Amino acid sequence: MPFRQVFGQVFPLELAIALTVFALVLAVMAAAVLVSWRKRRRGEPAALREHWHVVEGAYAAALLGTAVFLIVTSFSANSRDFPRDPKPAVTVDVTGYEWCWKFHYAGSAVTVTGACLQGRPPVLVVPAGESVRVELTSADVLHAFWVPYLDFKMDAFPGHVNTFTVTFPHAGRWIGRCAQLCGLYHTSMDFWVQAVAPSAFRGWLAAGGSAAGLTAAGVHGR
Amino acid sequence: MSTGTAAAAAPREPVGLIGWLMTTDHKRIGILTLATGFVMFLFDGVLGLTMRAQLARPGQHILNTQQYNLFVTMHGTGMIAVSITPFALGLGVYLVPLQVGAPRIAAPRVTLLGYWLGVAGALLLVWGFLTPDGAAAGWWGYTPLSTTTYSPGAGMALWIAGVFLAASGMICQGATVLWTLLRMRAPGMTMLRMPVFSWTMVVTCLMTLASFPALLTAMGVLTASRLDPGLLTGNAWNLAYENLFWFYGHPVVYVMFFPFVGAVAEVIAVFSGRRFFNYTGTVFALLVFAALSMAVWGHHMFISGQESNDYFSLTSILLVIPAGMEYFGLAGTLFGGRLRYPVAMLFALAFIPQFLIGGLSGIMLGTPSVDYAVNNSYFVVAHFHYTLFAGSVFGFFAGVYFWWPKATGYLLDERAGRVHFVLMVIGANLTYLPMFFLGLKGMPRWMQTYPASSGFSTLSLVSSIGAGFIGLAVITFGYTVYVSSRARKPAGPDPWGGYSLEWLTSSPPPRFNYNGQYPIPVIRSFTPALDLRQRRRPDQPGRAEG
Ligand SMILES: [Cu+2]
Ligand SMILES: [Cu+2]
Repeated sequence: MPFRQVFGQVFPLELAIALTVFALVLAVMAAAVLVSWRKRRRGEPAALREHWHVVEGAYAAALLGTAVFLIVTSFSANSRDFPRDPKPAVTVDVTGYEWCWKFHYAGSAVTVTGACLQGRPPVLVVPAGESVRVELTSADVLHAFWVPYLDFKMDAFPGHVNTFTVTFPHAGRWIGRCAQLCGLYHTSMDFWVQAVAPSAFRGWLAAGGSAAGLTAAGVHGR
Repeated sequence: MSTGTAAAAAPREPVGLIGWLMTTDHKRIGILTLATGFVMFLFDGVLGLTMRAQLARPGQHILNTQQYNLFVTMHGTGMIAVSITPFALGLGVYLVPLQVGAPRIAAPRVTLLGYWLGVAGALLLVWGFLTPDGAAAGWWGYTPLSTTTYSPGAGMALWIAGVFLAASGMICQGATVLWTLLRMRAPGMTMLRMPVFSWTMVVTCLMTLASFPALLTAMGVLTASRLDPGLLTGNAWNLAYENLFWFYGHPVVYVMFFPFVGAVAEVIAVFSGRRFFNYTGTVFALLVFAALSMAVWGHHMFISGQESNDYFSLTSILLVIPAGMEYFGLAGTLFGGRLRYPVAMLFALAFIPQFLIGGLSGIMLGTPSVDYAVNNSYFVVAHFHYTLFAGSVFGFFAGVYFWWPKATGYLLDERAGRVHFVLMVIGANLTYLPMFFLGLKGMPRWMQTYPASSGFSTLSLVSSIGAGFIGLAVITFGYTVYVSSRARKPAGPDPWGGYSLEWLTSSPPPRFNYNGQYPIPVIRSFTPALDLRQRRRPDQPGRAEG
């Protein structure tokens, strides 16, 4: 699950920088109002200065420094998002279609789907703590596979497979959504991710991937 | 135009309605462009308010899913293609010849053609919206959703044609404004003596001319795929469309930003009683800004998984440098000024922090790792509404309050204007600030409704209440215009103590802008009107009214 960790490092950092900049600009504006108020009271004219090259140069250097820092942050985060991962525990072919999802477990006969429009979203069952490789595609228009908990989404294109690796650190259940306008029932394209103990996962997969199998393994869905 | 009997007489311009609709006067074309854009702003705004009503509570069905997609598409396309972009170029059409001391705009008939193409585009978009299936593929019109396979109706075809015509019209107007800026300046008006607003129009027009053809091409791709649905299938075409679209789609954001930051710069300089601070640095930064922003479009495609993340992250983040330099000029002008606070100044002052929120969140989106989390969520909706509404539309209103007396000859009511301003500030922030948090909570864009269990209810309700304030604000603006036009308080040539040439001519200006009664003075700097006052009152060097 590098995405969530990386986001958890980068976003607060960038947010802190942004809030600092915002506070500085507000402070300058407030100071300008105060200076103006004092000038008016004392009958002083507006300042004449039109350039201040020293400050301008220092400021430009600060901007450049900030930009370089952000670029380095961005590059390193991006490289951590896609680590070389030669051997994922499980590979799932995820297909978005109008208007639901299909999850096929590579090397098995198990394909899970749901009835999104009837309010029964499919459940993507994964082993907790193990890396899951997602091979994402679409059967028709663009969709996007988004699990808000992962802080990650990726487009599903027809005729193309996007690949990424995610890890769900512990057992649990998280909502997933479609994040690309895909037509009439875009809003209904939800799915669940359910992470279970690896042994339970393997039992479930061997038993044919049924919802009953999941319950038999002692994992209860909602 | 001329009749047989009057053929010998001097050519006369038609009067009345025909005189307006067939005018070659850039001031009239500018006003037509702005007014038509405002009509579309109201129409698309009502769509936006309806969507906010739909989203106010969980599980509502004021709009069904099909209608919601139609509304989302028309709201986005309408605001961008036939409302805010025309605001941007319409301001230029009206003001640039005045500011550079030209008697007319270059190629006025092409400018007028641009206006009419824009009207045709707007009509086709509305027509498409009213057809049974409408256009429901979002303002990006991504393939394959927008192809005949998935959007077979006439509405989509009308959308393509409408976008094409509106963009063509903006290219016409961008070209003539640029030509005026480059080739029709008054004697003494060198490039580096043009007001900041005129400079923002230089970069606006350059970006229009450089990027809008990509949109025309994208619409051509869509048209070809409608003629032969089997022609443009496959991943490469979908990606090509995305690239073409964003090659337009990012720069258009700056087309919808630069003129308004230019308006804000003029307003802030005049009401700070100071010449604009760091003028040359600002001009240089504008040019860098425009050039760089032609190379950042891929940041809209990080989640496509098929984009050069590092390259587009690099260029996008580099934008902080020219953007920061723009803010340096604005802040430097304010600081040390003697401020006055008419409504125009209030809108300009609010523009600074509000646009900054949009800009700073935009820089965050230039980091793929952040974009993966928040793209296509309400975080992005918040981001671009802070830039476009809390930024550009505030800058637009700063310009409206500032130049309205110039264009009409009478002042806008300050008291009603203040109410308008306060409602706008409350409305903008109440509507868009909660959306950042909705996005971080996982609410996707284009969602027609949400269940109560999703945790989106409270923030959505706050946002919808804010939208109500925006509606009130716009109604108050209408009231402001109404009472002002009843009162008709005469403005005189220069109600504010302005700096640029347009304040030296009458309000409204004569047909060819300057004449024997209102001559163009000697131009020695980018503030010729201020210079003229100082020559007449040498005891007060560098001081404006205040
Ligand atoms: Cu979808
Ligand atoms: Cu962009």
